[in-house]
Amino acid sequence: MRFAIVFAVVYAIAYLVCVERNYALFTYHPAIGEWGVGVEKGRDGPAMYWYGWMASSTLAASLAGAAAMLLPQSAARRLPAGASWVAAAAAMLAFCYLLRGFFLR
Amino acid sequence: MNGTTALLILHGLCAVALLGAITHQAASVLLPARKPAASFTGRFRGVSGGSYVDAVVVLYIVTALLGAIIYGEYRISVRTVIEQLEMRSANGVFELKEHFAAIGVGLLPVYWYAWREPLGTHGRTRAVLTALLAFVVWWSFLVGHVVNNIRGFGS
Repeated sequence: MRFAIVFAVVYAIAYLVCVERNYALFTYHPAIGEWGVGVEKGRDGPAMYWYGWMASSTLAASLAGAAAMLLPQSAARRLPAGASWVAAAAAMLAFCYLLRGFFLR
Repeated sequence: MNGTTALLILHGLCAVALLGAITHQAASVLLPARKPAASFTGRFRGVSGGSYVDAVVVLYIVTALLGAIIYGEYRISVRTVIEQLEMRSANGVFELKEHFAAIGVGLLPVYWYAWREPLGTHGRTRAVLTALLAFVVWWSFLVGHVVNNIRGFGS
């Protein structure tokens, strides 16, 4: 359970940071169907970073979850399971705020 | 019918199955009914929520993968048109869908674990995680449906 709790919390925070700072592990160029390592500008069309953001977040969350597995049992028991949904809900609300420009003129 | 349209239909069918499973489970955990229930709504809420967990996880992953495969085509063929039509709200709700669905992926391990714990433990976490995933699935389904209608099927 501790891996899953830490994974959920770190994933939500990491995903928000990755989107905001554009830390994409790779870039997809849909117009030509090519992939690039890291963040690249669009080639012959738009660049897509969504896959790269998810990969970066998964990597960060997996490492944090693995580190949590090394915690002693007593410390692990104190990890609040509720933090998982709090972090996810907070990240979703943050995206609503960040994307408000689409809805407000 | 081209490959993307076929995948879009498959994506939609998986989404319908996921919607049914997560809605049943959310109703059972948020509005539990006494068993055996006599009414339709009572029976809808009276299901054993735990039996839906594996199906929800598998369907979420399959639906998200199918969505990810056709996303590139959406970016080129649909989003461009929506931008040209200056439908900013439609673009905005799809951007939210993209991010909500991604955050939902990160919740799947803890959701799965929470439902495997004995019923007395993590009850509130289990309920809120299920409700949150149900919200993500409903949002994604409705937005995907509306945005698809803007561009037009198979066009």
